[in-house]
Amino acid sequence: MAPSGSQRLGDELFEVIDEAGDARSGVIRINGTELETPNLLPVVNFYAGGTDSSLYGGGIHRTIKEFINGDEAVNGGNYDRYFDGVMTSVASLTDYGISRDRYEDYIDAPVKERDVFDFDGTLFVDSGGFKFLGDRKLDGSDFEVDVDQEAIFDIQRKLGGDLLVNLDRPISPDDSYEERVEKAQLTAENVAEFLDLTDGGRYTRYLTLHGYNYSMLDTFLEEVDSVIGRDRVHREFDGVALGSLVPLKDNKGKLITAVSDCRDVLNDWGFDDLPLHVLGISSSAIPLLAAVGADTFDSSSYIHSAINGKYCTSLYSSEPVDDADFSRCDCPVCSDPVLVRRMKGDAEYQKDKLGAVAMHNLIIQKREVERIRAAIQQPGTDGLTEYIEQSLGRQQSMQQHAHRVVNESLGGYF
Amino acid sequence: MPTTRTPKVNEVNEFLEIASDFEDPLELIRESLSNSYDAGATEVEITIRDRPIGSEIIIDDDGEGMDHDDLESFFDLGNSTKRGRNDGSIGYKGHGTKIFYKSERVLVNAAKDGTNLRAQMDRPWEKLNNRTMPEYEVTERSVKEENSGTRIQITGFKSGRGFSPSSLTYNKVEHYLKWKTLAGSTAHFFTDDFHEMEITVRLGDEIDDTRDKLVTDNKLEFPSEQLEPGDGRFPASRMCKHYSPHEFSVKTHEGDETTIQVVGMVGGKDARNELPTYGKHSAQFGVWLAKDHIKVERLNEAISHDNEFLHFFFIANCLDIELSANREKVRNKSSPVYQAIEEELSHYLSKVSSDPWFEEYLDQRRRAKLSRRAKSQQSSVEEREKRVDGRERFSPSNEIEVVLGLERSNREGADPEIVVEDYDPDAEVDALVRQDDEIYASSIHTRLTDHFEADKPLESVDKIVCWSYGDKDQLSELERHGYHGGEVSFDLDTGRLSYENGHRRNIHVVRVRDRF
Repeated sequence: MAPSGSQRLGDELFEVIDEAGDARSGVIRINGTELETPNLLPVVNFYAGGTDSSLYGGGIHRTIKEFINGDEAVNGGNYDRYFDGVMTSVASLTDYGISRDRYEDYIDAPVKERDVFDFDGTLFVDSGGFKFLGDRKLDGSDFEVDVDQEAIFDIQRKLGGDLLVNLDRPISPDDSYEERVEKAQLTAENVAEFLDLTDGGRYTRYLTLHGYNYSMLDTFLEEVDSVIGRDRVHREFDGVALGSLVPLKDNKGKLITAVSDCRDVLNDWGFDDLPLHVLGISSSAIPLLAAVGADTFDSSSYIHSAINGKYCTSLYSSEPVDDADFSRCDCPVCSDPVLVRRMKGDAEYQKDKLGAVAMHNLIIQKREVERIRAAIQQPGTDGLTEYIEQSLGRQQSMQQHAHRVVNESLGGYF
Repeated sequence: MPTTRTPKVNEVNEFLEIASDFEDPLELIRESLSNSYDAGATEVEITIRDRPIGSEIIIDDDGEGMDHDDLESFFDLGNSTKRGRNDGSIGYKGHGTKIFYKSERVLVNAAKDGTNLRAQMDRPWEKLNNRTMPEYEVTERSVKEENSGTRIQITGFKSGRGFSPSSLTYNKVEHYLKWKTLAGSTAHFFTDDFHEMEITVRLGDEIDDTRDKLVTDNKLEFPSEQLEPGDGRFPASRMCKHYSPHEFSVKTHEGDETTIQVVGMVGGKDARNELPTYGKHSAQFGVWLAKDHIKVERLNEAISHDNEFLHFFFIANCLDIELSANREKVRNKSSPVYQAIEEELSHYLSKVSSDPWFEEYLDQRRRAKLSRRAKSQQSSVEEREKRVDGRERFSPSNEIEVVLGLERSNREGADPEIVVEDYDPDAEVDALVRQDDEIYASSIHTRLTDHFEADKPLESVDKIVCWSYGDKDQLSELERHGYHGGEVSFDLDTGRLSYENGHRRNIHVVRVRDRF
């Protein structure tokens, strides 16, 4: 048995203030940052495609960084509230095939301490297991670093993450029971190492969980438990991140099952006071999953939609940017004539057009999450039920899912 | 120089046309009940007799009666004094009472404000058909101020084919009243000052002598709730849940607004049978659209396909649906308001279908069905046991049992040993068998003749394994007529089948029963 490590940061990290059925709203306080929940963390790639001379480069990602800073390049403006928390992945360092030198340069100073970034929100640094281990191989060859739990933690630490997760081995819907158990064991070994590595540091640590239903999640926890002991899981982790759901992203029914079963498992294991992050799932799933008890989400869909020319009109719908009527949106991007001109195509580079669209998309998503939060904060469950009714209940394809969460989590209609 | 012309109406034809829409004497009751209700009646009594001269229908109510204007509108077409009233009146078109014209005589006696008016119209239907406008004679006399009410007597009503009063029963009348008239009104769910009315129907003994009368009111009441399953083989059958009255404001795509009032229940067969159904539930349950809280037509499309509508009984009332003259159909189905109603109802019912109670109810039904099936399985197991005990020796009735028989013959020392190495019941060559270390492609059948009946080829098999040969004459016929364009011959003594189709092929026929 590993020696007992450091205690988790304490109950003050996550404070649940309001509950509506299984949904909850509260605040996560880390390193002087505050993140209201439920919340959506945009995925930001701080180093995408940068050059030796500039940490700043990288197409549409660069434009997003300009919005974070409110740079003149995007006509100024204060977009801080949309970056109250962001997700970045260790894997983002590998996306552009950087050299060892560039890599060293990138991890030379924490994100928040670099002059080029004016970011002071909560920084969630994923382990990138989903990228490194998707094909079950450890491969960090682009920058000649052996990728293991120690290396990943080293990067997470150097990036200055407020919130870290262990290196994990995501499962796939096609995995057999034996494959899942094997992955759980490997993840558990990483978890043990992760706890040892982070021991003594003031890190906020999230345990990754993988499974699509109660039994899978329970089996996963049994494996972790057998390696590190339930006691340590209890005392040392500050939160839980549910992963491996991206392959199910178009199956809302399965997502609801995974998240609501995850909450049940956490309750049964006595982890109900830990915040639950759902990795890689966003958009129309957010209200459904928030209703069954997810606290935070991360997503890069705001950028991907923009790259595909999609201008979001709500969390649930979009239209081609070239058909969009910007005057119908009152967000800071669409209210800025300079940015509107760029979105209409009057831009030197495509990134200036699509970067503005991405920022608009993020604002739309964040505003919707604020509404969900406000609905949960109303007394009783009527506010959230009403919100789900109005937003999803009227869409043919979403209706059954909306009804399900209202029935299962919010006390039903009748 | 242009001239201005006014289109003319052929009055007689109009009367004929409207009255022709009505065929059923029950429709006459429906219209009369609506009239009595609109006249503020608290009691109405309807008597139907089947007389040699034709049927006689009397409607007697204690409503406010009629004055000259009311009487005119009673006989006029499209001249309802209730048009434009906003007091919950049901009649407004001035069409309904025209059903009375399909008779030998209409006699109205109405007392209002100290005056009794007696109006008599003779042979209206005959006259209309002779293209003459029937007239009515009115006489007036004084009565006590406090006397009020209306008595309408229709003699010789001309029912349509199949609608003769003699075919009526109390059950049929009660069902009609509760399903098609204001006797089945859902208004009481939605208003505090509900106007209650007692309805008595008497059928002549020549029509139905099983009881004296039928007394009901103008309220549709659901069977009592039973949320938990009962005992017995059909535990869900008496389960019933009420869905409380609900009022929706609905906006059409064009921005108009309307209100839908929905109330209903979900329940099993026994619960539903507590309503006056008297017939197939599939024709009666589901979602009803109603106007004036009187059910008009079903809209079962509002219930998603994966749910059987007959568990549902919902009534959705809306003032903005428009009805055909005989009130049997909704007329404005292509209007935005109808579409908005349809959407709202579908949405509401999707919530009902997702109600955990409903899922539990369906689950109870499913579980009961499984347990009934398990019971019948049990009895079939017992029967099979008897059969096994009663037979003299093992005798397969399907291919799998032939395979088991073959294995059993090996166990009991049959020679040569033939072992099934691979079996795929879906493959044309379903088995690979081993004999003396050689693998043979084989086809396994209960009877040899089955191979040919299944139209299976002979080119690809080395062995046909069967329990018996089957009908030997059938095999002889194959020898006579050939198979798949080739010639076939059987030498059953040596267990050989030869097939000649371009080249010759010998197939070994293994009769398993011979191996014991």
